[in-house]
Amino acid sequence: MIALPLFFGLTLVAAAAGLSRRGRWTAPAGVAQALALLALAGTVLTHPGQEWLLWPLAGWGMLRLTFTDLGGFLLMVTAVVFLAVYLFSPGYLARYQDRYDQRPLGITLALLLGSIALILLAGDVVTFLIAWELMSVLSYITVVFDHETPENPRAAYAMLGASELGFLMVLAAWLPLVLAAHNIGFSAIAAAGPDRLTVGVRWAVFGLSFLGFGVKAGLFPAMSWLPRAHPAAPAHASAVLSGAILNLGLYGIILTNVLLLPPPSPAAGVIVLGIGVVTAFLGILYAATDTHIKRLLAHSSIENMGLVTIGIGAAMTFDGVGLPVLGLLAWIAALYQLLNHSVYKTLLFLGAGAIDQATDELNMDHLGGLARRLKWTGVFLLAGTMAIAAIPPFNGFASEWLLLQSLLRSVAMANPALETAFALAGVTVALTAGLAATAFIRFYGMTFLGRHRSDHAAQARDVTATQRIAMGLLAALALGLGIAPTYVATGLARVAASLAQSHDLAAFIPTFFQPATLPPALASAFYPLGAALGQHVLPAPGVVFMHPSTRLHAGVVFAMSPTYLALAIGIALALAFALARLLGHGRVRRGRPWLGGARTVDAGLTYTATGVARPIWVVFRAVLSPGQTVDREEVVAEHFRVSVQREDRSRYVVDRLIVDPSIRGARALAHLFARMHRGSVNAYVGYAFVALLVAMLLIRIT
Amino acid sequence: MNRTDAPRVGAPDAPAGREPLQMVSTSQATLPDTVRRLMAENHPLFIGLVVEHPTGSPPPHLQYVWMGPEARWLLVDVAMDGAVVPSITPTVFAADWAEREAEDLFGVNFAGHPQLGDFILHDEDWAERLAPMRMRPEPPAHGGGRDPYEPPRIVQAPGRFVMPVGPVFSGAQESVRFLLETVGEEIMHAHVRLFYKYRGLEKLMERQTPNRAVLVAERVNGMQAFAHGLAFAQAVEAVAAAVVPPRARALRTVLAEWERLRSHVGTLAGIVESTGLSVPANLLAAVEERLLQQSARYLGHRYLFGLVALGGLSRDPGDDALHALAEAGVEAVAAVQAVCHRLTFDNSFLDRLEAVGILPPPRAATLGLVGPVGRASGAPADVRCWHPYAAYDQHPVTPVIESEGDGYARFRVFRREVAASVDLIQRCAASLPAGPVQTPVPVVPGVGLAAVEAPSGALAYWVRIGSAGTVDRCHIMTPAFLNWHGLADAVRDFAFQDFPIIVSTLGLSVADADR
Amino acid sequence: MPWFWEGLKTGVRTLRPGAVRLPSGVTPGRPTTTAVTARDRFDANICPVGALAGRDAGVAVDFDHCIHCMRCQPPKAPVHWQNDYRWAQAAAPPLPHRFQRSIHVRIVDAGDCGGCLSELRQLLGPVYSLHRYGIYVSPTPRDADVLLVVGPVTVGMRVALEETYAAMPDPKRVVAVGVCALNGGLFADSFAVMGGASRVVPVDVTVPGCPPPPLAILHALELVTGLSRETREVAES
Repeated sequence: MIALPLFFGLTLVAAAAGLSRRGRWTAPAGVAQALALLALAGTVLTHPGQEWLLWPLAGWGMLRLTFTDLGGFLLMVTAVVFLAVYLFSPGYLARYQDRYDQRPLGITLALLLGSIALILLAGDVVTFLIAWELMSVLSYITVVFDHETPENPRAAYAMLGASELGFLMVLAAWLPLVLAAHNIGFSAIAAAGPDRLTVGVRWAVFGLSFLGFGVKAGLFPAMSWLPRAHPAAPAHASAVLSGAILNLGLYGIILTNVLLLPPPSPAAGVIVLGIGVVTAFLGILYAATDTHIKRLLAHSSIENMGLVTIGIGAAMTFDGVGLPVLGLLAWIAALYQLLNHSVYKTLLFLGAGAIDQATDELNMDHLGGLARRLKWTGVFLLAGTMAIAAIPPFNGFASEWLLLQSLLRSVAMANPALETAFALAGVTVALTAGLAATAFIRFYGMTFLGRHRSDHAAQARDVTATQRIAMGLLAALALGLGIAPTYVATGLARVAASLAQSHDLAAFIPTFFQPATLPPALASAFYPLGAALGQHVLPAPGVVFMHPSTRLHAGVVFAMSPTYLALAIGIALALAFALARLLGHGRVRRGRPWLGGARTVDAGLTYTATGVARPIWVVFRAVLSPGQTVDREEVVAEHFRVSVQREDRSRYVVDRLIVDPSIRGARALAHLFARMHRGSVNAYVGYAFVALLVAMLLIRIT
Repeated sequence: MNRTDAPRVGAPDAPAGREPLQMVSTSQATLPDTVRRLMAENHPLFIGLVVEHPTGSPPPHLQYVWMGPEARWLLVDVAMDGAVVPSITPTVFAADWAEREAEDLFGVNFAGHPQLGDFILHDEDWAERLAPMRMRPEPPAHGGGRDPYEPPRIVQAPGRFVMPVGPVFSGAQESVRFLLETVGEEIMHAHVRLFYKYRGLEKLMERQTPNRAVLVAERVNGMQAFAHGLAFAQAVEAVAAAVVPPRARALRTVLAEWERLRSHVGTLAGIVESTGLSVPANLLAAVEERLLQQSARYLGHRYLFGLVALGGLSRDPGDDALHALAEAGVEAVAAVQAVCHRLTFDNSFLDRLEAVGILPPPRAATLGLVGPVGRASGAPADVRCWHPYAAYDQHPVTPVIESEGDGYARFRVFRREVAASVDLIQRCAASLPAGPVQTPVPVVPGVGLAAVEAPSGALAYWVRIGSAGTVDRCHIMTPAFLNWHGLADAVRDFAFQDFPIIVSTLGLSVADADR
Repeated sequence: MPWFWEGLKTGVRTLRPGAVRLPSGVTPGRPTTTAVTARDRFDANICPVGALAGRDAGVAVDFDHCIHCMRCQPPKAPVHWQNDYRWAQAAAPPLPHRFQRSIHVRIVDAGDCGGCLSELRQLLGPVYSLHRYGIYVSPTPRDADVLLVVGPVTVGMRVALEETYAAMPDPKRVVAVGVCALNGGLFADSFAVMGGASRVVPVDVTVPGCPPPPLAILHALELVTGLSRETREVAES
């Protein structure tokens, strides 16, 4: 119980340490703060339901902190993110030393962590919203930190604006809930139940809260601020924004639509699913074609938020149509994806910081060959790349596989419309996974492999030891979460159980190698997979995800064991290495690269990241940039082109199709109103007359 | 002003009357205006630029050569009385490479040409401003390399890069280097770097007897050896005003068409190969090899080396061989047409050729494209019609013309010309005159200019025989040199995967350009 | 798919190595050292490259310099033209035994007029079908065992040839295809020509001819692999 005051106490200490000379105590105090949060998360998870009453609000209940499983889980994730970020920050911030006073940033980060914890602990509407607003403003400060870079203040402003818009929507969504329960406490609102609200209001609550919190999670359609704002922050703050703060948007959605007020219909789940699909697809499409590393990562964050949202939508649908076991599976998939994203995205943003620090360059078109210069960063980022590209044995694979499986299990719903929706979602997730693989292989290949394309890249030096520790920690975590998914899923099942209506984990993570304990129908389905063979040989129960079809008579079993996959990969690599040592003659001949017979090759003659992404760009041109590139040619002596300037005027697709027209519409409306106010008395009399006429007509009609 | 002799052109027994060569002498200052005026009057085909460098009579002269219909030549002669000659490239874009070549090999300074230096002689291998063709008698050794060539970067776009291809390719391909500027996927600008294979043949021919130099001419482009040998022989014959016997002229026609047949079948096989359809490609390649075998069987050499001789042919294959040849041609064309007919119904073939590598007629005219490539873009030029040589006056040809200018139009031109060639072979073989196949050619000093329609287009030789009876100077104006100039336009804005297809439809030979 | 049937319908167009008679014209033939009688005496200077030398009892032919100008073909000169194609000569032992089943070759055009390259294309084509011997054209010199050089090495191609040779792994063999690659041929005297591949890379097998017909190039590759097909082939037609 000491953890709670300890954490908030350390938060103040860390904020105060931010005032120390050149912020030298920020990081140690921050590490302590993050560790305290880890302890607090442990406490929360071990004491779910415990409440700390803070302050009475006359007639509306108490301001309070409540320990919940979901909150505890997210606290833990946040703690890990901040731990790595604090370890990374001192070495990284040295690059800003000459330009900025770093103390505000240290204070902001410490307070930001405090506000995040407050959001996750809040047990009532008021505490939550206050913490939320605090968090919004503090994250604005981190984004605007590097304010000398011209586009950053605008990006930060866009983020703040979007955030406030979302805040207003959330306010509007929660108002009927609070009024209906006549209490600000979440538990009281949940207890009041949906009965006192009409279906229309319930839909409004769902819609507004989903949109409002969706803004913070970067969900469609309020996503265009994210790829501008996240890259603008210093890299370690970007890691916080992507790894910790995006989760809060999803937390808000789950809090409102699962814990406080169940959605009015399973259709809400399908809408969530659909939004998730669009978000994931657009996110990865931009990630696959962007060449700026941090923007690429930000786009990829959108994609991952989309994937988690798909899981949430699937879970809401399954729960809504009365398939609690599948609901549990989808919840686990969603939470697992969220956890994984926080780990590898933090790792990758820190890696981007390391690259920036070493080369002062984040455009992949000008990087290349860093694996030779930044050895450890290269290794850790390879792990991060494989994790985010869902390549086993890293963690992305486990959660994306689970997510895909949960979508494919929709056949159990026996509802053609829902099945079709899920099948489409499944296809898009598969496409997204494919694009993610190309996007991140391109990222790694263009940044770390090949030849350097600029002098910055050629003279890069690896980062400090603590920074490497921060990245190594996350890389190890990404690997661990990937090779022991059954243990992770078991842990997540506890959190998921608080959201789902089932905790029947054994239905899809069976004790595989003890077939005797299984129902006979399951056991007979598992034997062909080698369960009988393996039961006396292989240790570890439950290393296999396996969902027998719920229409079990078919006996179709989908199984996957990342653990044994990792083992197999390890053995294969060891064998290959051993064979190469045994059979190879041991001679290594080093030669010049083959250049097609040409003498020299300079960096301008090698593929750029833009070039690698071009095929994807061409295929999806209609989405990315319909006719928005303009070539201007300069011709001398009548016939000789001496330059072709290509200008890309592409607008982000959501801006182009939704935001810009809305703004134009609003402007036009305002303009219209402005024109109506000409100040001419005759005009006003005319308006009044027309209004009267319309009113009378309306009355006659009704 | 120092005057040079006008070259002798054409057949000496041509009907008298109109002057076959119009030579316009002009000064450096008035050159661009003169050219502009002449171009506005008629629309001749640019053939080349001869740097007349007569021994012992400085200053050198530049002679821009055009060819017009009805056996007319146009020659603009400029005495180089100043250090810098105004470039005519802004007016006549086809002269672009000719001027670059003159600058690189002769050290002629052109004003107003934006792209000079490193062309024939690559920077890495040769010293600055070497002008080897100017050196007499001995050209220099190589070495004294300058900085490596860096192509100008035309494309300014984020993520732009240059895709280098060559000079060494993966298959049995000629050496050339392409630098394709791109941001990925489509080619935004192509730099063609030729002359890795520059063999200095014009210099090599100097001081050789015409009888030996003809062997070098044949090997300028082994794939079109007969055309090169014939053009050289005709130029020498023009100097001496030698009359080639009628049988030799008929045989020259048959052999030139036979070579066109074989070359076009090879080009068609190459086009089909590039589209990835291996069965039809192999069927056509089998026809090509069969034609090669028949060449060796009836004419003695697979590539017709050694057949052309000054004053006629080196030997008479005999009527039987020629009839067999005509029959073989009919057989070959039937096989080719069968394959091509099926191809015209093959969508995967048409998709790769139609509207790919487009050279619209106005652009093709600006670029001065010749031969089948030019005719596929609506340019009517065909030396066989414009300047009938050998027996083409008795057996006239109708030029095969298409107007789309895309890869498929070129394919159709090659295909139709195959049939036309066999038709001509049959007509000639049916009415072969009897008599000798060679007449002695006296050694006469002077200048000769002659052109033939090589399989790939207008090929002209300008030869000056010195008083010693040896070649004083020879300039080879090849169709490939003119047509390579159009490649950059043809591939522009097309995707990488179209590049080899477009190159194959242009039927370009590197050796032909890298003299 | 229709092309597949078309191909099947066409049947085999490939020359069978065991065939008793090869179609005439597969090789242009070559002049060989000939015994002549006194009445056949002729001027050795008809050879523009000096490959013929009159001797007491006949004509000696230096086929390494012959450019196939056909000026000594009967009846112009009493030189015997032989229709074989075993023109190649090896100066180095064949590649180790394990290369017999599958070798990869790399072709470098070092200034070829197009003739030799065309003959190489024919060799890869359907009629000679080099692949059936397990000989492939490698897309990269890194995998190549044999380097085929055609053309006199021009100054511009010198480095490309050096680079290609350097990029190949050991053991490797270089075949100079055609008289130009052998000694520069007709181009040897040009200022822009190095004159023969051996000026730039070590040459192991040579095959003269201008150009050597596909079967002669195949003979050179047989010498490289050490696979002699004497028993299976009857060459003369």
